[in-house]
Amino acid sequence: MIEVNNLHKSFKSKKETVIALDGLSFQAKDGEITGILGPNGAGKTTCLRTLYGLLSADEGFATIDGIKVTENPLAARAKLGIFPDKFGLYERLTAYEQIDYFASLHGLTGKAKKQAIETVLTDLEMQELAHRRTAGFSQGQRMKVTLAQALVHQPQNFVLDEPTRGLDVMSTRVLRNYLAKFKEKGHCILFSSHVMQEVAALCDRVIIVANGKLAAQGTPQELCDLAGESHLEEAFVKLIGSDEGVAA
Amino acid sequence: MIQFKALLIKELKEAFRDKRALLVALSMGLLAPVMIMVMSKTMIKDFVDNPAVYVKFTGAEHAPKLIKAFKDENILAFADVPEEDHRVWDQWNVELIIPDTFAQDLSEGKPIDVILRADYSEKALGSPLRRIKDEIRKYSRIIGYKRLLVRGIDVKLLQPLKLQEQDTALPTSNAMIITLMLGLYLMMGAFISGQSISIDSSAGERERNVLEMLLCQPVSTLKIVMAKLMCSSLIAIISVTLMLSLTTVSVSFVDLTKIGATFNLDVFTFVALLLLLIPLCFLAAALQLFFAFQAKTFKEAQSTVAMLIMIPTMIPVAMMIMDSKPAWTEWAPIAGQSLLMEDLFKGLPVDWAALIVTSGATIALTVGLVLTLAKKLTSEKVVMSLS
Repeated sequence: MIEVNNLHKSFKSKKETVIALDGLSFQAKDGEITGILGPNGAGKTTCLRTLYGLLSADEGFATIDGIKVTENPLAARAKLGIFPDKFGLYERLTAYEQIDYFASLHGLTGKAKKQAIETVLTDLEMQELAHRRTAGFSQGQRMKVTLAQALVHQPQNFVLDEPTRGLDVMSTRVLRNYLAKFKEKGHCILFSSHVMQEVAALCDRVIIVANGKLAAQGTPQELCDLAGESHLEEAFVKLIGSDEGVAA
Repeated sequence: MIQFKALLIKELKEAFRDKRALLVALSMGLLAPVMIMVMSKTMIKDFVDNPAVYVKFTGAEHAPKLIKAFKDENILAFADVPEEDHRVWDQWNVELIIPDTFAQDLSEGKPIDVILRADYSEKALGSPLRRIKDEIRKYSRIIGYKRLLVRGIDVKLLQPLKLQEQDTALPTSNAMIITLMLGLYLMMGAFISGQSISIDSSAGERERNVLEMLLCQPVSTLKIVMAKLMCSSLIAIISVTLMLSLTTVSVSFVDLTKIGATFNLDVFTFVALLLLLIPLCFLAAALQLFFAFQAKTFKEAQSTVAMLIMIPTMIPVAMMIMDSKPAWTEWAPIAGQSLLMEDLFKGLPVDWAALIVTSGATIALTVGLVLTLAKKLTSEKVVMSLS
């Protein structure tokens, strides 16, 4: 379970102060897929980075399974699988070595590690890729490797930052199926995206963030009802109060 | 420990799989011995041989015996210059003017002005001019002695004091040319070899978007920095060891006995040199990572880290120039190693206390850099510059 409580964060430069988060609070429960929606610059990435413990909030806190990220970042991260905003691969390693690397960073060794890697490779149907170097992988193959390395330690909580960007239909389906399976096992999934259909199809609950604040939350249907619209996209525009950023 | 092992193995795999970068990293170790051999060969040749000197004589016909004496010392007339050297000697334009009255003045015992005209600031002419002057003095002295002898005076009366020179330098210290170069190359090898690996594993990883992913993992930044440091300094250590071993082989092709030198990299010197250089490899890697991680782009990292090469080149030279060295230079990193290396090459016994103190100071500085860097990597500034 991921909990974000009254997060404030501003970035000061010489000329101006940008308020990225302005009292954001929400929960992502176990056994649910929670989607974060918001226009560009709404504070999604800042919020997620605070969650990873890369940034420290000016006020408020984030907890992962009850562990405060600021107090014990390493323990909190151990409970977290991360699919980052921009993901790169170690191009001189094979897919297997890369997954192995991340498994070891999470403290897996010996048979347990081997077993974990095999499981994740089977789940993502990527045995064929496993022993090839990742240089020259397609976007979909890269996504699979990143997904595998984030999930090899079977984290209780899984955070994805715009994972479907640049993926074709087949890859998106693989991802969706996997997330649904992962949810069934009782894991907590937090998912940021711009694609409305995807959020509508996949998420149990949606959190709409605008200007660093929580604008609305509920199931996709509840949000539509709240805004009095039939499509989530229309509801989203109404709820954030402008049509800025939707095109992006 | 599992984490550190995984981090280190990954760094090593990446470093050793990029064959071209690895070859560049080790190129210093492979090329330096060859360069040392070639350069010492040419230097010894200049030192030992008496290459021909070409002089534009005026009035040569008045002093045939003097010209003959010059010829015996390989100092020849400009007319004899071979085609390929013609331009150079014409440019240097060494003139020797013998007056018309030479023969007459000589027979009358009058002083004769022989004029040597050349650009004395031209470095390449240093040795030729010295040889010409020596020859004229010798010729002049011989005639003088003969004049005294025919008057029944012992020439020894002209030398009330006779200086006996005894050189106490050990035979190996004559191999200064080689050791000077080797010392400089070793320092540079320790500093340059790991450079590309350091930049690639810091600024390069940031540019390839893998650093953020790593920083999000449950692993302390200290372990990350340590793994990268180990990998980069290992490459530098391999390069330095390679350079030392190959130099031992390449130097055996140079005939050092011609300059009365015996240069010998025995096992003891080899080990002592490695002991001096290994801490430097760590320091170099720490400095490279420190600056590369803070650079905003890969390009910036490359140019900043390239500046670091000033350290191993400038400090030893400064040590050489400085006549009275302050005491702290003996234990300060790099300066201390450079002084100790000089002693080793001269064949002096190793000052173990100084070696331990310098190595300690170098390692302390490295640890300081690593801790600061690990702390900096947790700061928001670094995270903000990730994207």
